[in-house]
Amino acid sequence: MRLALAVLLLATPAAAQDVPLFAEETTSSGLAHQFTGEWEYMVGGGVAAFDCNADALPDLALAGGTGKAVLMVNRSTPGGALAFAPEPSGIEMEAVTGAYPIDIDSDGITDLVLLRVGENVVMRGLGDCRFERANEAWGLDGGDAWSTALAATWEAGATLPTIAIGNYINQREEAYPWGSCTANWLHRPEGDRYGAPIELTPSHCALSILFTDWNGSGKKSLRVSNDREYYEGGQEQMWHLEPGQPPRLYTEAEGWKRLRIWGMGIASTDLDADGYPEFYLTSMADNKLQRLVAPGPGATPDYTDIAWARGVTAHRPFMGEDLRPSTGWHAQFADVNNDARADLFVAKGNVWEMPDFAMADPNNLLLQGVDGVFTEAADRAGVASIQPSRGGAVVDLNADGALDLVVVNRNALAQVWRNTGPVGNWLTVALSQPGPNPTAIGAWVEVRTGDHLQRHEITVGGGHVSGIWGPQHFGLGQASEAEVRVIWPDGSASDWTRAQANQPVTITR
Amino acid sequence: MMQRRGFLTLGAAGLALAALPARAQTGVDPVPVLTNWYKLTLQLVRHTATYSPPVAARAFGYLGVIGYESVAACDPSLTSLAGQLNGLAPLPRPEAGAHDMAAVLQAALSTAVAHFFSNTGPSGQRAKATMTRTQDARVAEGLAPDVLARSTALGQAIAAHVIAWADADGGAVIENMGFPMTYVPKDDPSAWVPTSLIRQQQAPLLPGWGQIRPFAMPAGDTCALPPPPAYSEEPGSAFHAEAMEVYTTSKSLTAEQKLIARFWSDDPMLSSTPPGHWIFIANDLITRRGLSLSVSVDMMARLGIGMADAFIGCWQAKSEYNLLRPVTYIKRVIDPAWTPLINTPPFPEYPSGHSTVSGAAATVLTAVLGDGYAFDDHTHEREGMAPRRYDSFWQAADEAGISRLYGGIHFRAAIEQGLAQGRCIGAFAAGLRTLS
Repeated sequence: MRLALAVLLLATPAAAQDVPLFAEETTSSGLAHQFTGEWEYMVGGGVAAFDCNADALPDLALAGGTGKAVLMVNRSTPGGALAFAPEPSGIEMEAVTGAYPIDIDSDGITDLVLLRVGENVVMRGLGDCRFERANEAWGLDGGDAWSTALAATWEAGATLPTIAIGNYINQREEAYPWGSCTANWLHRPEGDRYGAPIELTPSHCALSILFTDWNGSGKKSLRVSNDREYYEGGQEQMWHLEPGQPPRLYTEAEGWKRLRIWGMGIASTDLDADGYPEFYLTSMADNKLQRLVAPGPGATPDYTDIAWARGVTAHRPFMGEDLRPSTGWHAQFADVNNDARADLFVAKGNVWEMPDFAMADPNNLLLQGVDGVFTEAADRAGVASIQPSRGGAVVDLNADGALDLVVVNRNALAQVWRNTGPVGNWLTVALSQPGPNPTAIGAWVEVRTGDHLQRHEITVGGGHVSGIWGPQHFGLGQASEAEVRVIWPDGSASDWTRAQANQPVTITR
Repeated sequence: MMQRRGFLTLGAAGLALAALPARAQTGVDPVPVLTNWYKLTLQLVRHTATYSPPVAARAFGYLGVIGYESVAACDPSLTSLAGQLNGLAPLPRPEAGAHDMAAVLQAALSTAVAHFFSNTGPSGQRAKATMTRTQDARVAEGLAPDVLARSTALGQAIAAHVIAWADADGGAVIENMGFPMTYVPKDDPSAWVPTSLIRQQQAPLLPGWGQIRPFAMPAGDTCALPPPPAYSEEPGSAFHAEAMEVYTTSKSLTAEQKLIARFWSDDPMLSSTPPGHWIFIANDLITRRGLSLSVSVDMMARLGIGMADAFIGCWQAKSEYNLLRPVTYIKRVIDPAWTPLINTPPFPEYPSGHSTVSGAAATVLTAVLGDGYAFDDHTHEREGMAPRRYDSFWQAADEAGISRLYGGIHFRAAIEQGLAQGRCIGAFAAGLRTLS
């Protein structure tokens, strides 16, 4: 009966590729902030979106580069205009390239990891958008590097998350930066503190990393997207992370295929809901969309590029006179029109006066159609900014169920847009479990409307130095209800639960 | 011949004055000025998006001429290339007064690299500035201000002269990294078709490169090639047999053959490209074998010229024959699931560019350093590949050629005819009058 109802509701889906209109509210919202800097800040420029004062609105922590990082408290009216106010929080420090939110100590208050040129700093959340340095308390060695990527996972039995940090060029190498990639680090807990960081060598100048259950095995592996501009003998990488074992690279003998791109950002989602996520890798000129050649039990990490077939190469500006190749950075799959299909946002921007690449490089908003092919809509949606973009977040900033957009630009004001619709119905799903990892990082959330299944892997990492911490957002199209279940990090699955559209749902274990 | 700290005193301007004897002093050795700029240039080639192999070869050609003429302006044992190279007019001569060889060379090469790599990225710009600053300081150390100023002016003038000459060769402007914005494949089963899923590479790279002005050879089609075997899908035909050789070889590659394919892969934007591989070898030999300045600039000039001409001649033939790649034919006729070991370059197959350029390089290097000149190739050491030992430049060139068959991107005819074409083209560079 429940399924029959859902099928009926899906019989009148939202029109294909409805283009929502985004209103830019950068100035009116008070989001006055820039990520600034020259060589050491040609990459980076991230934003963390998370609720730090328990008002169900995501607040924003923005990297500042040579300027100070800032915490913008979200003062938006639910369903209304966006509003932000900078407030002293403890994160105001220079040399921040990016920020990821995560509840490290499982106290229900979100913490922050600030990636920096220099020492990385972990900030314990104190509530009410206040933070304090916690490197010493948690034993996390912030090191001294040019940090440009983060991913986190919860290994079985651990009281703290395992945190991987991606590092870039040796920031002190002036004459020959090429080949000077410094080691990535794996911070693994030892009891209630972190042990000495493990070097993930060889390292090849990572700009995005992500823990993911790529093969449906229930185990997490670490994907690393590397910038070929600076490595010598490098390639894209994936690491095994076995309990109690040192990390180990996937090899060609295991099916790993050498790929060398200007890797800058990873976005993942299970586009075809087959249990195996697809990966979008941003680069310069053509971007990649990877799908397993042979998904299924025992799959090997052999990927084929389906970016062209799916319309997401996004290799050059889609508008304007500047037809030089594009430069892609942050990427994120998100359903911006709530038609129950993941769309794709890509931040674009010239690295720094590289005349062979587009200078007027508009961001992409690629809407997925019923046939799985994406169509450019950034200009029609009003988000085709040609500022030199880096990080970003597609996130519901005013709790109206329509995903909004914030983008960090280099040496230019960050921008924010409010999604004014039209959008379909929606659902948000938050997870809660007792003990460590209270929000179930590593779980999968499945939402079913009729025979249409959506699957989200709960991850921390990816994108370009930008992260979101909060409930998972699902578009439902015209469906007024859906069924939801969770596959918890240990592999156990909840029952399917019916949920009404247009409301938040929390699944508690 | 100049020794360490080349220091010349000239009584007055003019050609005759260049014959005045050099006054050698101890001090800054000009040779590291040369080799340091080439080391940086190899990085810039890799990290500048327009630097496909033909474009890289062109830059090496002009850098070689600038370096050579900077030394030749002050060294009477070297004959200027003006009048020997197509359209190169007589170069600026030294003014009256002392000149310092290292300072002349530094000014010329810093000006040249700034020009030819003006479009490199932020790290390249930073590295260029650092190299210019550090080498400027080194050559200026202990030098009288008037000598430094005079030497710098001469080096800059020589570079400007060659740059103006280069700007008129038809290859100075590269748009969209060398790929035409549109392309309609020919309606012919033998014709090249795009082989890549990369959107930018749906047109052949630099289809007009065969028409740009050569350096030493008379024209792009001077070293014309016989046609490749006639296209046929019939088993037993010469063309089918060539494809079967690529296919069966790919199925039984030894570890050594795979290593050879990767050692000479020299992919653009992942390496210093095939001409950069040969420049690395030569630059490395300058240091390891302690070659003199005059021999070094002669070698780098003729090597650059020979390789630049090789790409012009090769691209002329590629455009003329417009032959499909092995991956296209084998998937169509033999095995739809086949993939080559290395990436197939985005342009027609016949002849093999790496073979042509390697044939030209071996011809020039043999002319400069002799036949049977054994050496170790350290090009890819920093990428974790061990050096490879060769008994001669031609042994290396032959291996570079056959590497393309092991890699699955060329038929044998393209390799053999490419090497022959390189030998023909390289002879024009080898035959230039340089060292007396």
